[in-house]
Amino acid sequence: MSSTEGFKRHGDHTYVAQFGESEKEVLLNLCEQIIELLAERTDHGHEDPLAAMVGITSHDSPPEDEVLHRLLPNAYADAVDASEFRRYTESTLRAKKQAHAIAMRIHLKSSDDGLVDLDHENANAWLGAMNDIRLALGVRLKVENSSNEHLEILSPDDPLRGVYAVYTWLGWLQESLLSALIDDVDEDEESQLGNS
Amino acid sequence: MVKTADKIEEEIRAIFSSDTPWVTIVWDDPVNLQTYVVYVFMELFGYSKARATELMLQVHNDGKAIVSTGSREEMEHDVARLHEYGLWATLQRGDQL
Repeated sequence: MSSTEGFKRHGDHTYVAQFGESEKEVLLNLCEQIIELLAERTDHGHEDPLAAMVGITSHDSPPEDEVLHRLLPNAYADAVDASEFRRYTESTLRAKKQAHAIAMRIHLKSSDDGLVDLDHENANAWLGAMNDIRLALGVRLKVENSSNEHLEILSPDDPLRGVYAVYTWLGWLQESLLSALIDDVDEDEESQLGNS
Repeated sequence: MVKTADKIEEEIRAIFSSDTPWVTIVWDDPVNLQTYVVYVFMELFGYSKARATELMLQVHNDGKAIVSTGSREEMEHDVARLHEYGLWATLQRGDQL
């Protein structure tokens, strides 16, 4: 199995990574899990089809599932304001998160040789999707601070050990894409300032 | 419940003043990478790398930071975009910090 060197900047605003077959499988599997998880939170019992059409959901309380709650958090500390905001915005947020993971899945699926080539917009979709996956894994792993001592000492036969390895690897992959992107964005910012 | 005079006065003031600023707050999260938080601030708000880094460090060290200020509608928009990218954000009235 070949292992990826992460994302590299390739020419202007293009970011490229080469994945091995098993890496590709792991990433696809994670994308599908996020897509499914978000799909579980479907809107039910709509009395008003027009409300559904304009994106008003039947949900006005946060998800009970801890992972979904982290992906779809409250926007207000105040419970009344939070549920009002959720009713009008949650379905859009879910759709955007699904779109990120679906974009990532399509890039992986359409690559026969494991080579992924992203423009700026697609790179943002990947970053969002990879971050959602890490948030989901982080909840399951009970990541509570940056030291993660309880995860470093997992026994070899603990199933969470593999999850933690994936979590760490995904963080590294996300970091490689970020370091390729961030200087491009900062340079654009500076040149805009220079022109104004 | 009887409201205090101060509370009533405050509410009346809020009704007449449409320019009460609202703020978007980003809260510290142990999962989000520091570089990622910097990048999201740059992308969503057009902040320079230096400004975005400063805000990220404030979130990291103080547990939270105000990342944008404006009308309630503008802050709801900002919070929705931050949630899209997985940052933990809330909005509130600027005079109730």
